Amino acid sequence: MAKGRELKGRIKSVENTRKITKTLEMVATSKMKRAQDRVHAARPYARALAEVLADLYSPDLAGRFALLRQPAHVKRAAVLLVTSNRGLAGAFNSNLIKEARALVGRLEGEGATVDLHVVGRKGVGYFKYVGRAIASSRTDIGDKPTTTNAAELVDGLRAEFGDGRLDAVYVVYTKFNSVLSTPAVSEQVLPVAPPARGKAQLDYLLFPSADEILDQLLPAYVRNAVYRALVESEAAFQSAQRTAMKNATDNASDMINILRRTYNRARQAQITQEIAEIVGGAAALQG
Amino acid sequence: MLTVSVISPEAVLFEGTADSVVAPAFDGQVGILTGHAPMMTLLGKGELRVGAGKDAQRFTVEGGFLQVVENRVRVVTERAGRA
Repeated sequence: MAKGRELKGRIKSVENTRKITKTLEMVATSKMKRAQDRVHAARPYARALAEVLADLYSPDLAGRFALLRQPAHVKRAAVLLVTSNRGLAGAFNSNLIKEARALVGRLEGEGATVDLHVVGRKGVGYFKYVGRAIASSRTDIGDKPTTTNAAELVDGLRAEFGDGRLDAVYVVYTKFNSVLSTPAVSEQVLPVAPPARGKAQLDYLLFPSADEILDQLLPAYVRNAVYRALVESEAAFQSAQRTAMKNATDNASDMINILRRTYNRARQAQITQEIAEIVGGAAALQG
Repeated sequence: MLTVSVISPEAVLFEGTADSVVAPAFDGQVGILTGHAPMMTLLGKGELRVGAGKDAQRFTVEGGFLQVVENRVRVVTERAGRA
């Protein structure tokens, strides 16, 4: 029964693995719920900013605001890539890196120099591995990103764009459309693309003036785009981890079933053999 | 009646109706009652009061703006908390 004992050991080991993946799945599920709530809570602010910006915007403003400047030719661009600090989330990070590489490739193909700013240990590790220099990295943003984190990430880039040292800023992150749809996307945050106007422009009383309000509003809009990217990425990460851990748990269950079956078959075969031996022995004595 | 919402990047802090709103604009306090003309103003730092008397809801806000359109008041601020 040497084979039987070996199988028992393997069943035990897979059962332990399943316990771990099951626990991680449950942790990710509860974290995802909270992250999802934060995504939903962030929406009204984004909507309010977009609506007001659309109300105040007119094409002739483009020349007056640094953040609306549309460079004819992109000489230097920045890409902010938001990856996760931890793994065990399936293809989450590799999808992001693929998207970022495609974007960087396209920009470089157009003749631009690209600065890569990376958030998350996984992205930093990857670019270190392939030997590409990164302009800055952050690995200390936890599972509850704040507006302060977003400001720290983008304020420097915004200033550089304002000075004309940068011509475009992109964010590559994982969009959280729903639990089932979390695509990696690249979004241009600078220059600011003013949202389309829904209804006719109202005649507002503006204090102090449209220019000064836009002066505050545009940076807030950019910061919020990055904040949203961070929050959505976190929710998407938890959802990816949940799916990955659910698959791992299901695989472990399948494997346990197969191992059990093999074990039972071996046990039965042994019993059958023992009976045959006894019957054979008894027959030999009778004869 | 005014329909008032107080919105920060992280959450909607208040949504409801009130008779009046007193907000800390960039250059001093601004009061809004029913029938106010469409207005948009930058906010400074200070206390935002929705309603009056002992039912008033108080918030601390910093930065952002306030928008009034057809008796809907929207306070969109970068940092907000309940006071």
